[in-house]
Amino acid sequence: MENNVSIYGEHKPELEKLLNSILLQVSEIREEMKSQLGIDPVEHCLGRIKSEDSMREKCVRKNLPVTTESALEKIYDAVGVRIVCAFVDDVFTIRDYIVNSGRYEVINEKDYINTAKPNGYRSYHMILRVGGKYHAEIQLRTISMDTWAALEHHLKYKKKIGARQKLIEEELKRCADELASTDLSMQTIRDMILEGDN
Amino acid sequence: MKILLAEDTKDLNKVLCAVLEHEGYDVDAAFDGEEALEFVNNDSYDCLIFDIMMPKKDGIEALKEVREKKIVTPVLMLTAKAEVDDRVAGLDAGADDYLTKPFAMKELLARVRALTRRKNEYEEGDVTYNDVTLKAQTFELSAKNSVRLSVKEFELMQLLMRNTGRRLTAEFILSNVWSREPDADPDTAWLYVSYLKRKLKAVAANVEITGDLETGFTLK
Repeated sequence: MENNVSIYGEHKPELEKLLNSILLQVSEIREEMKSQLGIDPVEHCLGRIKSEDSMREKCVRKNLPVTTESALEKIYDAVGVRIVCAFVDDVFTIRDYIVNSGRYEVINEKDYINTAKPNGYRSYHMILRVGGKYHAEIQLRTISMDTWAALEHHLKYKKKIGARQKLIEEELKRCADELASTDLSMQTIRDMILEGDN
Repeated sequence: MKILLAEDTKDLNKVLCAVLEHEGYDVDAAFDGEEALEFVNNDSYDCLIFDIMMPKKDGIEALKEVREKKIVTPVLMLTAKAEVDDRVAGLDAGADDYLTKPFAMKELLARVRALTRRKNEYEEGDVTYNDVTLKAQTFELSAKNSVRLSVKEFELMQLLMRNTGRRLTAEFILSNVWSREPDADPDTAWLYVSYLKRKLKAVAANVEITGDLETGFTLK
């Protein structure tokens, strides 16, 4: 059966290597920031290789041939890492560490924090490339942005929303904007505490 | 509610102050147009009552200067009976209403109520300044991005947006936004200003809040 052959061909070990090196780098960044802030800025960090099925499904959805070339070079999230921080400023500090490390070609960045998507989604997305060939998508966000995304994901798969669609979309957007507001208040409080320490 | 009364006739000034204070208003009394402008520059009011005939600077001159400063506070002009041209000039210069001397105290109070009521109704609307919009129904603060404010943040933002370019002291902020909470202190005002500073930045607004607790805060 065709499915016995990996969509990633012979490249899976390379993808795993890339994933592990990113995860290792994130833990180094955490250690360094911990020594400065006195506390780990990252609440949790998850990495994965996109499953065979999801990758095939995505190729089809994007009208691409279901090939190793598509999976590695046309689609950029074969390797995915999500870094969830407590505070919004830490998202940008970690982003700077990753960009300035010089380990990757940063081929795209999308700042959905300073410009939220119309539905309210907030996150910082980066596409990294190594060896001119392998790609990884990094998603950086705060706990409350992550909470919202998780909730929205659940609701997206409830099909029978019907006439209330518009109301629900507006309310989800409102929740996103309220959470973002709370994030900024918490950040301000932290700044005040850190300032008091000095 | 705070009212500024500018009336050069000392006895009438005293009586009007007493009546307004009796009704529960805070009243500052000025005796000429220049003094009135000093009060307006240093404080904020819910209603201004200006006599037209005053020394140093008459009521219409003072009113024009108030409006030039983009202060939208309702203004009631007091005029003598024969001064038809003055009444027209007053209304054209930005007065909201006038009252002809001699007048009944009852009528003065009713007009003040009407003017301040109008202001309250007006305040329920959305406010915009530069690229920033503050929605009264939803507490949404938006420019290139949007966030939802808490009640106190909203009230403070509304106050700042209605007084753009002017320095608002912590005391003024507390008396307007935290009027029912006597325990609120200047640090509370400072913290809420800090929240708003960060949120204005987060929506990528073209305006900012400057100043500190000592000097007062200004939105521009």
